[in-house]
Amino acid sequence: MDTATTARKYQKNQKKILTKTNIMLYLMITVPLLLYYVFRYIPMPGVIIAFQQYSLSGFKYWVGINNFNAIFSTYFFWEAFRNNWVFVGFGYVFVTPSPIIFALLINEIRVRWYKKSVQTISTLPNFVTWVVIGGLFIQLLSPSTGYVNLVIKFFGGTPIFFMSRSALFPWLFTFMRIWKGVGYGAIIYLAALSGIDPQLYEAAVIDGANKLRQVWHITLPGIRNTILVLIVLSFSHVLKGFFEPIFILKNPMNRSRSEILDTYIYTIGILQGRFNIATAVGLFKSLISMFLLFFANFLSKRFTEDGRSIL
Amino acid sequence: MLKRSTGERVFNVFNLIGFFIFTCLMLLPIVFVFKQSLDIALAGTLNISLIPKTPSLVFYKMVINEESVYRPFLNSVYITIVGTSSSILVNAIGAYTLSKRQLPGNKFMIYFLVIIPMLFGGGLIPTYLLMRALGFIDRFAALIVPGMASGWYMILIRNYYWSIPLSLAESARIDGAEEFTVFFRIILPLAKPVLSAIALFAGVGFWNTFMSAIIYMRDPKKYTFPVKLREMILLQNDSDQQRMEDMLQSMGLDPNKFFLTAEGLSAAMMIISMLPIVMVYPYLQKHFAAGIMVGSIKG
Repeated sequence: MDTATTARKYQKNQKKILTKTNIMLYLMITVPLLLYYVFRYIPMPGVIIAFQQYSLSGFKYWVGINNFNAIFSTYFFWEAFRNNWVFVGFGYVFVTPSPIIFALLINEIRVRWYKKSVQTISTLPNFVTWVVIGGLFIQLLSPSTGYVNLVIKFFGGTPIFFMSRSALFPWLFTFMRIWKGVGYGAIIYLAALSGIDPQLYEAAVIDGANKLRQVWHITLPGIRNTILVLIVLSFSHVLKGFFEPIFILKNPMNRSRSEILDTYIYTIGILQGRFNIATAVGLFKSLISMFLLFFANFLSKRFTEDGRSIL
Repeated sequence: MLKRSTGERVFNVFNLIGFFIFTCLMLLPIVFVFKQSLDIALAGTLNISLIPKTPSLVFYKMVINEESVYRPFLNSVYITIVGTSSSILVNAIGAYTLSKRQLPGNKFMIYFLVIIPMLFGGGLIPTYLLMRALGFIDRFAALIVPGMASGWYMILIRNYYWSIPLSLAESARIDGAEEFTVFFRIILPLAKPVLSAIALFAGVGFWNTFMSAIIYMRDPKKYTFPVKLREMILLQNDSDQQRMEDMLQSMGLDPNKFFLTAEGLSAAMMIISMLPIVMVYPYLQKHFAAGIMVGSIKG
């Protein structure tokens, strides 16, 4: 058989579904499909527990929306709900802009090795687990042995037990989030900045524009689309990613300002065994996330340059 | 070269100084905890130096000698090695199927692996009940198997497969090679860059395994290193203090003269936990772009 015939045969086979090649290909993706089916899809119908009386011993009877009535009349639920949104809000106001400012400023540094070292150091914490980050700051802020309080004492002040002051918690947590993420977050903006045509700046200088004007009229518009895309994408996971940091940073003294929905679900579900209530909170949270994902998708289609969709 | 105005030069100087302070702030928590992990000096005198007054490796020795500490460490090493290698294998093979655009069902697979799980999920409790029913409580499988396949990783690998010239695979096929052979002999060796990137990101993820271990591991013998570290950070109890005093005495040191707390031990554990990440960091840096892609590409 000559090669042309083989090639033609190959192309013809592409139209049939169960060719030898296709079966082989389907087999190759069996493991991921199976794993996803078991660990992602089997738990999905489990959310009906939210409408049942269900405890450690299993299903008892249906209760309709009573579990939801129960959680909506619980003070601690609303507290966790509020804290969750406070962290989200602080995130957009302080954490989101920080890598942009970082990128704009570090982009001005002309000393190569200096720029590189700053970036290397500030990007590392992104890969360190929150347990370690939390531990670092708990030790740094410790009232008796922490460095911050040592310095305060050194200058004659009274030590502050930072981690137990609930009012300080959102600020401390925000600071840690910036500390962990600023360097890594800046990478994508620095990439966008390097894509701006240097001739634009040269032209601006000839026109007599100072640095600030250059930033306002060239730099920011140049990375506007990147900022927009990232903000829109972030809507799809606003309530995610808080479990680990809060789990390590939460203590009985700051709990009123640190408890979030995820840790609340863990406490009442895994620790107290009230599976139905915990599932109801979880379902409520997923409904919000789902709505936000659709919203983000809508915004992305509407406002990004290429109108791309997330879903 | 453009001429710089006075204002600009002043800005540059302040920018350089500002970033110096910023870098110090970034380093302070790590340097301080590093000092804590090496220092057994009795606290009391105000000492804001970051150099240990009485340097000692006693905390690191404790990590090595204390079974309740080194076992979680070994557990994390095990999870990282097994998890990363199996995850690479599963995702690399699966991604090849995803790379066949003409394959019937391709779109369904993307929906099944990426889009639908993004929208719907059982949540913590139904997943926990499933794991319990599977008998995964206190088994490392609970930490490895559910995270083995990742739709996002597969898409990233698939995109890389697409960049490999088709002609290479075509010529092998015309020579009569099976699809599986084409994949293993031609595609896989060429995909090394993306696979090493995924290996690094998955490896860091497995090394940092915390949340699932908190939920599924009840037996302290099955703790991962971060779980043990959290325990040390939160429970700096009397029994630990006693153990440390015994330790000091056995080393011929007077416990009253030294300040040996669980803080020092957790400091040493934090440094040890960061060490592997610092070690792979230079390689990670090469793949930052890929890492960012994981979070931002669509199916």
